[in-house]
Amino acid sequence: MRLGSPRLKLWAALVVLLAAQLVLRPWLATSPFAPDFLLVALLFFAMRSRPGAGAAAGFVVGLLSDAVAPTALGAGAFALTIIGYVAGWLKAVVFADNLLVTVVFVFAASWLRDFIELAASGTLRTGALGTQLVVLSPASAVGTAAASAIALLLFRGWLRSAPAS
Amino acid sequence: MAIGVERYGSRADTVAFVACLVVALVTLALPEAIRAPLAAAMRRSVLLPAVTIESRVAASRAEREAVRRLRAERDSFALAASQVPELVTENEELRALLRVRGRLVNGFVTAEVLHQAGLGDGLTLLLSAGRRAGIAPLAPVVSPTGLVGVVTTVDARSSVVMAWSHPDFRASAMTEKGTVFGIVAARRGERAGEVMEFRGVPYRDRLPAGTLVVTSGLGGVFPRGIPLGTIEGMLSEAEGWERTYLVRPAAHPAQVTHVLVLRPGVPSDSVAPAFLPPPAAESAAATRAFPADTI
Repeated sequence: MRLGSPRLKLWAALVVLLAAQLVLRPWLATSPFAPDFLLVALLFFAMRSRPGAGAAAGFVVGLLSDAVAPTALGAGAFALTIIGYVAGWLKAVVFADNLLVTVVFVFAASWLRDFIELAASGTLRTGALGTQLVVLSPASAVGTAAASAIALLLFRGWLRSAPAS
Repeated sequence: MAIGVERYGSRADTVAFVACLVVALVTLALPEAIRAPLAAAMRRSVLLPAVTIESRVAASRAEREAVRRLRAERDSFALAASQVPELVTENEELRALLRVRGRLVNGFVTAEVLHQAGLGDGLTLLLSAGRRAGIAPLAPVVSPTGLVGVVTTVDARSSVVMAWSHPDFRASAMTEKGTVFGIVAARRGERAGEVMEFRGVPYRDRLPAGTLVVTSGLGGVFPRGIPLGTIEGMLSEAEGWERTYLVRPAAHPAQVTHVLVLRPGVPSDSVAPAFLPPPAAESAAATRAFPADTI
């Protein structure tokens, strides 16, 4: 991989997002709008990869996320595998560098991830499940979508037509 | 790379996707006894740097919040410390009140003055005690230094006092020795609210500055001997008839924070000794009697 190559720039952007997840998110953790930078990084990667690579990346990211919050190990991996695969498939349909498409897709992916994960884990029931899916998850999805928009604007030059795999 | 190329129908992608899904589901189906150690192993190995960084960031955040909280507490203490002189003054006032209380023994009600922001504060005062505490209309209100006013309105838990500075206030007064009698009222016009007038002094009597003026007990509202103030000088005279003197008040209604409200049954002969001798000598005597009783 050449220094300054599109692929390297993409990985640099992903590392920055990972660092934001580790350093910034603890400061925002109490806010319902706290963005999930890791999900943004996964989607940026998957939207520039083959669906299989996106699915594998989603599986890994999900499994590691589950390990940090081990309520139902495997539920996050299951959800993000689907999200990663869909994101990789999305590249065939839309322009991955389009800001509006990215924001809408990140919002939908964040909410869908929560829905799948909650359904798979079975940790919440009726009322609490409704509150999570109707109130908390959309709020978190808004924050994540906003973070993705900012990241896309910041790293537009790095992410443009950068194949990850 | 052209968009849409090699994205549909790749068998490798499908296999990878299904494999990941199956592994995820198998992981999810594992018993908790296996999943927990598995997650712990990941946290101890591949996730250790991430967990460490997040822990340090969280600790940093907690420390910053602790500093913010400490600063707020420090500011609160600084604010409290700034009020200490007022507390000292208030304490001295309460001590003075207790000295009066020791002599009066009973027949009074203690009350706080609830100063208001209105322009009328100082002419009328709101007290924190009312009918339930035993306060009745026309009860004299005194401070450690002298007369403050008279109760005009009584509610269950509060009462209103007409201070001596009120234009309608009148008190039958006399000199300390009981040789000269007159009426004390608030000064109007220049220096209104600052000094009193001692009216109706017989023309034949001359009062030197510094003469103490007290209530005379005539009229039955104020017991005899409550200090009103000291003569400051002559204000006017009606030739061959009477003189009016300016009196520097013993108590300033706008400044008192605690008062005693005398009950009707208070013994008249116990009131005057409660204020006399003069405050300076009394204070020195109290300091000698209770040398360790200081703030």
